[in-house]
Amino acid sequence: MTIAEAMRVSETEGKGECTRGLVGLRGMPAESMRTILTRARDLLAEPQNVALDVARGRAVGLAFLEPSTRTRGSFSLAAQRLGAMVVDVSTNSSASKGESIAETVRTLEAMGIDAIVVRSAYSGAAVSAQRASEAPIINAGDGRHEHPTQGLLDTLSLAEALGRDAAFDLAGVRVLIVGDIVASRVARSAVAALTTLGAHVTLVGPDRLAPDDLTTLAQGLAITRDFDAAIATNPDAVMMLRVQFERHADPGVVQAGYRDAFGLTTERARRLHQGAIVMHPGPTNPGVEIDQAVALGRVKSVRVLVRRQVRCGVAVRMAVLERALGIS
Amino acid sequence: MPSLLITNARVIDPASGRDGVADVAIENGRIAVIDAGLDRSPAGEVIEGEGCILTPGLIDPHVHLREPGGEHKATIAGGAQAAVQGGFTAVCCMPNTTPAIDSLETLRFVASRARTSACRVFAVAAATVGRKGTQLAPIWALAQAGAVGFSDDGDVVESETVMAGALAATAHTGRAFMQHCQDPAMTRGASMHAGEVQVRQGLIGWAREAETSIIERDVRLNRAIGCRYHVQHLSCAESVEIVRRARAAGLPVSAEASPHHLLLTHEACEGFETNAKMNPPLREARDIEALRAGVADGTITVLATDHAPHALHEKEMPFEAAPFGIVGLETALPLYREALVDSGAIAWPRLIELMTIEAARLCGLDAMGLGRLAVGGPADVTLIDPDAEWTISDETFADRAGNSPFVGRRCRGRAVLTVVGGDVRHRSLARAEA
Repeated sequence: MTIAEAMRVSETEGKGECTRGLVGLRGMPAESMRTILTRARDLLAEPQNVALDVARGRAVGLAFLEPSTRTRGSFSLAAQRLGAMVVDVSTNSSASKGESIAETVRTLEAMGIDAIVVRSAYSGAAVSAQRASEAPIINAGDGRHEHPTQGLLDTLSLAEALGRDAAFDLAGVRVLIVGDIVASRVARSAVAALTTLGAHVTLVGPDRLAPDDLTTLAQGLAITRDFDAAIATNPDAVMMLRVQFERHADPGVVQAGYRDAFGLTTERARRLHQGAIVMHPGPTNPGVEIDQAVALGRVKSVRVLVRRQVRCGVAVRMAVLERALGIS
Repeated sequence: MPSLLITNARVIDPASGRDGVADVAIENGRIAVIDAGLDRSPAGEVIEGEGCILTPGLIDPHVHLREPGGEHKATIAGGAQAAVQGGFTAVCCMPNTTPAIDSLETLRFVASRARTSACRVFAVAAATVGRKGTQLAPIWALAQAGAVGFSDDGDVVESETVMAGALAATAHTGRAFMQHCQDPAMTRGASMHAGEVQVRQGLIGWAREAETSIIERDVRLNRAIGCRYHVQHLSCAESVEIVRRARAAGLPVSAEASPHHLLLTHEACEGFETNAKMNPPLREARDIEALRAGVADGTITVLATDHAPHALHEKEMPFEAAPFGIVGLETALPLYREALVDSGAIAWPRLIELMTIEAARLCGLDAMGLGRLAVGGPADVTLIDPDAEWTISDETFADRAGNSPFVGRRCRGRAVLTVVGGDVRHRSLARAEA
């Protein structure tokens, strides 16, 4: 391949839906999402103490070039429960600058790795990795761009809690996504999944964190700066996002009074309707976007899914890895 | 006896107003005669130019040749080869090298490399030491030693105090100050135009105001100084309007546009296409329209490729981490044709004027006789087949870098003969061969 050829990529490559990899949820057809979600739902029902053997002899590479504990552990467990071998070349050192993600995946591919999970602080890193690799790439978070398995696990836990996990049709479901949306890959993936499956999504946050142009992310996406008014509309679910201090150039991006205006305080949680769903991708900034008492489920009128989301995460990642490995 | 005779071409020399079919004879590196029906028998080589346009050698006042310090991206010799393939006989290289071209020593190094290169290579020197924006470079001495302009290109001169000093020192030399207009505070972490594509890709947006605020500031600073102030690579409609107003007020302000800003929008960055990652960024259709209108009404008087080679391992980085810039020398001519002539903004003579005498005046090369066709003047000429259809491909690029978003594009017009100082430095005379 010549230099210029290598620099280019076909229209369809690296966009998730056309390969067995998963770079992002934006543009993925609803049917593809439902296939993954249905398989993940079925996997949730499997006994946890029995390893499946479907991926025996296969190898999954983990290349987390940005600090990660939870997602990396979740992927590692998911791969091992499928019976796959796991090679973890994650690092926080020089590679975290992003220079070598293409080289890293080439190396893993040369080892004979069947699917590669990547994370990077740079938006677009998963696409770069997919361009460099014949092996399917699974995006475990690239900068502010996408975190597709998080979007799917959020959708699975929400659908399950609402009893919508038979067909994964979210028509009529109203969801608030609150907080630091501009820097959130979780929000971009969740918006893509939820709106594709029919949910009505409203973004909530101050203009610095939820600028108006975010409504271009999906058809029908609404935005408001008034969390209390949004709560008064009785949403089915509230997804709180972590304020990502590390992704903002301006350390003063969150002003004093953030919790008062946009935090899910105990008082505000009580104003949600009986049985409303509270989600958070974790890790939380307790006392910033969510009070610890809410996160731990002490407000009995709402259903907090934070721990269920983590559990769903393993199942979703198993389903995504099965798809990448060509098992399902 | 002439060494080279080019016959029956449409000779366009905007500096003299000539536009008509003629023969051009070249002898001893100089233009010997321009006239119709010259005798062909005594000539060394006769090239049939019928159907082609013969122009003064094209000049690009803004390229990056990467040497010294960036030889893995490109070299002066390689960049000069790219230039002649694109029809350029002279280029001005920017000082963002390592070390920067901020000393007589580095300027002489560039000049030494230029002497063995395929086209004339002039250097724009750094305005501040190390392009750090704190201490002025020896501007007067650099101008005396041949620097054809001053710029910290790649970075703006951020401090108003330093900028005022740089403008005053540059004014004293008679050269132009060429500003890279980018407010650093407004573009921290930014990698593409602030808009829909940026939003959905989770990138940090680069607002138009990051460019306009610097142009406005500089026009204000320069009002009392009167340096020739040149805005590099305009990217947006609002900038064109600021330059238009400044020129209308009689201020010594000029500006350039680049092929990619005249043709591509931020949509080209879709899918994290690093070969569309530009500084300043590709913007929207209305900006393209405004830039073309600026060329049409004389607000923008210079065209420049901002030729910026990068190595594959750099452009294959994630979009946010990949370097800004694309190569442009080999592809500029047909792209300008498409953007400006085919769109109806200007006709060929004005396009040639922008690419020759206007660029020469900006950099003081007209004093050397460049940018025009004059009997007795240096025989830098370009023969253009305006209708040659071809496809930009990997083989288009002379040097090691092929980082272009235009690969695969069908285009019209190309340089079929490039003559520098009477020497043929490039030819691809499929049709025009005598």
